[in-house]
Amino acid sequence: MRKNKKELFETIYYQHQPMVLQMCLGFVKGDDDLANDLLQEVFISVWRNLEKFKGESTYKTWIYRITVNTCLQYIKKDNKVTMFSISEIENQLAVADNDENSTNPNIQRLYKAIGQLKKIDRLIIIMVLENQDYNSISEIIGITPTNVRVKIHRIKKRLEIILKNNKNG
Amino acid sequence: MDNEFSELKNKWGKSKKNINLSITNIESIYTKIKKKEKENYFFYYSTITILLATFIAISLFFYYVAPVEETLSRIGAGLMIYGLLFRIFIEVISIFKAKRINKLDDTLKTTENIINFHQFRKKIHTIIAPIIIILYTIGFYMITPEFSLYIEFWNLFLIDISYVIIGIILFIIIRKGVKKEMQKLNDIIKLKDDITE
Repeated sequence: MRKNKKELFETIYYQHQPMVLQMCLGFVKGDDDLANDLLQEVFISVWRNLEKFKGESTYKTWIYRITVNTCLQYIKKDNKVTMFSISEIENQLAVADNDENSTNPNIQRLYKAIGQLKKIDRLIIIMVLENQDYNSISEIIGITPTNVRVKIHRIKKRLEIILKNNKNG
Repeated sequence: MDNEFSELKNKWGKSKKNINLSITNIESIYTKIKKKEKENYFFYYSTITILLATFIAISLFFYYVAPVEETLSRIGAGLMIYGLLFRIFIEVISIFKAKRINKLDDTLKTTENIINFHQFRKKIHTIIAPIIIILYTIGFYMITPEFSLYIEFWNLFLIDISYVIIGIILFIIIRKGVKKEMQKLNDIIKLKDDITE
């Protein structure tokens, strides 16, 4: 059982890690360290709840739900001394070497613009960018599809204004 | 607007391809899982362990070291012990409410459960904890007359004064806790408003 769980977890991890990381990056305005912290929190929750997955939705929708709740509950751990293991330090170095996104000004601008939205709006617009339909978003957030549609329309308008202002400024 | 948004979608899609799988290796996730399990255990059971240890220490003290005989002292000792017992019971409810916060629920339900939990914590800090401390203090001073028969005046005086100092420290800690809890509560209520607006 434990071995099966590990195999399933690793399959889910490798399939959904880029999606979760990008969602977290969008939520924390492109901050790599915070996004990686969030990513770990999300997959810790996935591991702990794997047995509870009933197949009522796809793994993708299920992981979105965990990601949205994790992002909203996340409290920035400022002024806290954190002890890193050697593997974590190696991992951080790999981030510095491999992360092309942190040097891509276009995507950084987009992350920063999304970061200027309200917390819940950031996550909704990210799900839209990820091609999630209204029904899935409504299922994840817990509001009606009509309400989702109205919200998305407002968020798109707000995002457009932010991007225009950022361009001019 | 739709064209511009399609452009954003393209940018978003392209940037995902750049996210390398080596960014966070799976081993560090397993390390964090183990660490988190320990932290969670500490988070849920640290307060209850401290309260339980205090309860046992005080009970043993009144049973073996200083078995008070006068009615006034017995009521005082009862207030101290049962006050603590009640606080332990409240902590058990708090753990139960914390465990109901489930990341598998939809966001609105999770937010409502978090609000429920913090409102309960607020009640603990603003109503229940002060009442228990007041009862504990009354109980403490009720046993003082009988203790004065066996302890020298100056020693008893020092004990009473140190209790006041501990009381002030406790007040400051509780006040800090209330402020923190209120801030969290306000943030989450605002989040719920944002979801439902």
